Amino acid sequence: MTALFGVVAVFDTAEAVKNAAARLRQQGYRVFETYTPYPVEGLDRIIHPGPHRLLPRVMFGAAILGAAWAYWIQYWDEALNYPLNVGGRPYNSWPAFMVGTFEFMLLVTIAAGFFAMLAASRLPRLYHPVFEAAAFPCATRDRFLICIEASDPSFDVSAVRRDFEQLGAEQIEEVHA
Amino acid sequence: MTMTLPTELPADAPVIAPDVTLASLSEEVSSRVLMDRAPLWWWIGFSISSALLMVLIIQMGWLFIGGIGIWGVNIPVAWGLAISEYVWWIALASGGTIVSALFFLTRSPWRAATNRIAEIMLLSAAPCAGLMPIMHLGRPGLFYWLFPYSNVMGVWPQVRSPLWWDFICLLCYILMSIMYYYAGILPDLATVRDLAKSRFKQIFYGILALGWRGSSEQWRNQRIVYAIMSAIMAPMVISVHSVVGLDFAGGLTPGWHDTQFPPYFFFGAVISGTAVIIMLTILVRWGYSLQNVLTAYHLNAMAKVMLVGSLMLAYAYVWEAFGPLYGSDVAARTEFFNRIFGFTAPVFWSEKILTVVIPQLLWLPMVRRNQILLFLISAGIIVGMWQERFVFTTSSLEHNSIPSYWGVFFPTVWDWAALAGTIGLFLTVFFLFLRFAPIVSMAEVREIVEQERSK
Repeated sequence: MTALFGVVAVFDTAEAVKNAAARLRQQGYRVFETYTPYPVEGLDRIIHPGPHRLLPRVMFGAAILGAAWAYWIQYWDEALNYPLNVGGRPYNSWPAFMVGTFEFMLLVTIAAGFFAMLAASRLPRLYHPVFEAAAFPCATRDRFLICIEASDPSFDVSAVRRDFEQLGAEQIEEVHA
Repeated sequence: MTMTLPTELPADAPVIAPDVTLASLSEEVSSRVLMDRAPLWWWIGFSISSALLMVLIIQMGWLFIGGIGIWGVNIPVAWGLAISEYVWWIALASGGTIVSALFFLTRSPWRAATNRIAEIMLLSAAPCAGLMPIMHLGRPGLFYWLFPYSNVMGVWPQVRSPLWWDFICLLCYILMSIMYYYAGILPDLATVRDLAKSRFKQIFYGILALGWRGSSEQWRNQRIVYAIMSAIMAPMVISVHSVVGLDFAGGLTPGWHDTQFPPYFFFGAVISGTAVIIMLTILVRWGYSLQNVLTAYHLNAMAKVMLVGSLMLAYAYVWEAFGPLYGSDVAARTEFFNRIFGFTAPVFWSEKILTVVIPQLLWLPMVRRNQILLFLISAGIIVGMWQERFVFTTSSLEHNSIPSYWGVFFPTVWDWAALAGTIGLFLTVFFLFLRFAPIVSMAEVREIVEQERSK
């Protein structure tokens, strides 16, 4: 028998899963996660409370770096390495460098946001133990799952099952992985 | 007391049909991707598209052997169909980003079902746009000299030139659009993965979905980044198309040398991009029988966007006439009179009718609800915008500042082959997306379903 990963409960509405997550947190559970077909408003604040400013900050930092990088390349090109007099404009003709700087800044920002999003979500990760749950495919369709993981300090299979039953879960399942 | 026309959609009309549930939505949309055999219309469309793609390949082969002299371009008209069609294609692509990014920021409910069609359209049109200037280069193999990279020749691109800005814009735009599309479609690929029956499709979509689970943490990250991306893509697309306008405005040619062209080009992008999306939406909802997800509400909303686009374009047309008539440049006025009364006059006037006069029918709710009329008006707009780009590019060069230098541009059969061929490339890429990627953003429509249910 493989190790127990956690216990999954299936709920049929977004409100039910949100109430259940709030109650579980009150009861002292800490290591649990929801799997929903669309982002449920407020759910992430229940499960991962606290400020989450990493991604916007990464993107902002990338924007500054991207702009500096693009401007530097143009400055190096036009003012230092290959100075070319065009109609008497200064070699460092910064207004003309702004378009390249702007576009490259946006590209670097979006690329940083895209890859930081994957990294923060720990993707790509093609296998996850929760995929072993028979009910999991519904979570990308029309059902709302909560999984209390066995690594939770107050985890106890029968207590977890009882809590889920009280919260009105449609279906409860132990996940072995 | 407010008066409502009997044929107008009421304000609380359903965005999607009431019988759509979370389960039926996922199954319906995914089944179009997962079905074992593509429908007959798909094969017919795909065959025609691939045949046109072959025209492009043959055209490019002969172009690379014979040089751009096989086209009608010469002095004085050195920028012919390739450049005007570049503008035309990039305008269509830009319209896709406007619908998808701008209306995400405004939280318009109709955007949720149509944004995927808009993005696929943009990803199919952008390569066609990128191909045009490369084919036009004369020595297409050396296009990479535009990259500012340290090389043994010791030379750098001239970064003060709008043409270089344009290259950077297009390159950044295509890369950003791919990431924007992928960040949005990730949850939908996971739905397809979980509904797939065959082992091969499970693995294929499993890899594409990168292991998406829809955990609260993943949704939060995806939403934060997607919102910031949208806020970036909306001004980005305005800058891209404005820079295309600067390619022309930066030149001293009469008819081009005007500060109004950056917004003028952008207005053209709004109307022509929306027109393509409307045509594709009508065809896709019919072909894939998605009438209950892509409803009259969506077509009505997009028709209104198209109407706004035609009004903005009308405003730009006024300034197109005001500039040369008010200014004291004789060459600009001569060129303008030749444009409206000379050889290109029929193309000029029919373009104005197709893009500004006929779209005024969209004020009538019954026209916005009639799919056949909507399709025809949209097709007219796309043809009209092609004529607009064509007249704008060639007519100015035909009547340059020196009369002894005047000439006339005639496209050759190879010019038309390039047009037909890029349409083939566009449709081929579009049909492939249609077959292998979910065509409706299920994750976002689910939220609409829940909102409609709780109404």
